[in-house]
Amino acid sequence: MLGDSHKAQEVFHTTLREAALGAAQGQLPKEPFWLFREARWRCLEATKTDLKPESLEIDEHEIAPGAPLQIEQLDPAQLAIWISTAPDPQRTALALFYLDEFDYREILDIAELKLSALSRCLAKGRRQLQAWLDAKHPEQRKL
Amino acid sequence: MKTLQLLRRRRALLNCAPFSNDQLADRSMRSAVSRADGSDEFVNQQNFDRAVAALVRLVPIPPESAEWFSEKDLVAGSKWTWKKMVRNPAVLAISIAVVVIAGVFVLQLLGRLNDFPGSATARRLLAVAASTRPVMLDPVSTEAGTLSDLFFMKHGLEHYDVPDEFADFGTIGCRVFDDEESRRIAQIWLAEKRMQLFLFPADRNMKTGAVLHFPGWRYVHQEGWVGAVTERSGVCFMAALRGGDKELQQYISKPKE
Repeated sequence: MLGDSHKAQEVFHTTLREAALGAAQGQLPKEPFWLFREARWRCLEATKTDLKPESLEIDEHEIAPGAPLQIEQLDPAQLAIWISTAPDPQRTALALFYLDEFDYREILDIAELKLSALSRCLAKGRRQLQAWLDAKHPEQRKL
Repeated sequence: MKTLQLLRRRRALLNCAPFSNDQLADRSMRSAVSRADGSDEFVNQQNFDRAVAALVRLVPIPPESAEWFSEKDLVAGSKWTWKKMVRNPAVLAISIAVVVIAGVFVLQLLGRLNDFPGSATARRLLAVAASTRPVMLDPVSTEAGTLSDLFFMKHGLEHYDVPDEFADFGTIGCRVFDDEESRRIAQIWLAEKRMQLFLFPADRNMKTGAVLHFPGWRYVHQEGWVGAVTERSGVCFMAALRGGDKELQQYISKPKE
C-alpha cells in the first residue's frame, strides 16, 4: 500500500496501538475487519502528503502467456512500489487481492467497494502491470 | 436483459477469482470459475495472479513488524483437561443432578422389586399401626388364633385367620374397620412387644377378579415400622412392629412347638 517499509511499520504500529488502547477501555471493535480497514485509511492518510506521480494515461496490455516469466524477473520491492503508486481504490484492491489472505467478499468489505468496482480495479491493474512488464522485459512476452 | 446482467456479474466474478483453491468458498464464484475453467484467457489470468502473489510473498517485512506474525502463539491457549472440566460449575451441577436422578430411579426400582400384591395397603396399614392407641381397640384378652371365630361370627369375615406363627400370642384388644377403599380390615394388638396384626383382603386382578397370590413372607417398611406379610385363601396377614426386619424374622422362622 505504501511502498515504504518504514512508513508501513509506522502505520502498523499506530493501528495496533489504537486497537490496544480501545481494548483497554473495553471498546472492542465489533466489525471483524476493523483492523484492516483502519490500517488502510492510515495508509491512505500517510500518502496524502507524498509526492504523487503525474496522472497520465498508463498503457494497458492483455495478459500474455509468458507473463509469469516476466514477473519472476521482477524485484519484489519494485512490485511493491508499483502497487503503491496506483491510485486508490485500485491500490487497495491489488494489495489485498495479491496478499492471498482474503476472499473477494472480504476485500469488498475492507475496501468498501462494490463487486463491479473491484472487478474493474483488478482487471485494469493486471493489464497495466502487463504493459509495464512488457516495457521492462519485452523478450519474455511470448513463451 | 437479465442474461446480460448475469454475464456481467460472471465476468466481474472471474476478474476477482481466487488463484488458490482454498478461497473458493462462495457458490456463485465456484459456478463462474467452473464455467470458465480451461479457457486460455482465464488460465493466463490465474497464472499471472499466482506469479504476482508469489512475488508479493517475497516483499520484505521489517523485522520489528515481522515478529508480530510469529508462528508461535503469543498467548498459550488454555489446555483442556478432565480435572478442569469436572471443576466447571455447569458440568458439576449437571453431574450432581444426574446422580440425584439416578439415585431416585434406583431407589424406585429397588422399591418396585420389593413390591408384591397388597404392598401398598400394607404400607398404609403400617401408618395406621403407628397412630393407633390401645384405647381405640376393643379390649380382648385371649390367644390371637381364637379371634378368627370372632371375626367370622361377629363381622362375617371368612378366612381372617391368624397364622400359626402368631396364633399363640396373647392379645390386648382388637377391632374391625373399613379403610378408604371400603375394605374390611381386622386389627389385633398383642401383648408381645406391642406387636400389631392386620388381616385384610388380598389384591385381585382388575379384569378377572382372581386373587393375586404371592408365596411366603414379604417385608414392607414405613416410618420406622416393619411389616411381615403373607397371603392365604385370599386374605393377607401382616404382623407389624416398630423396628427392623430381624425382630420379625425371629417369629416367622421360629418352628411351631
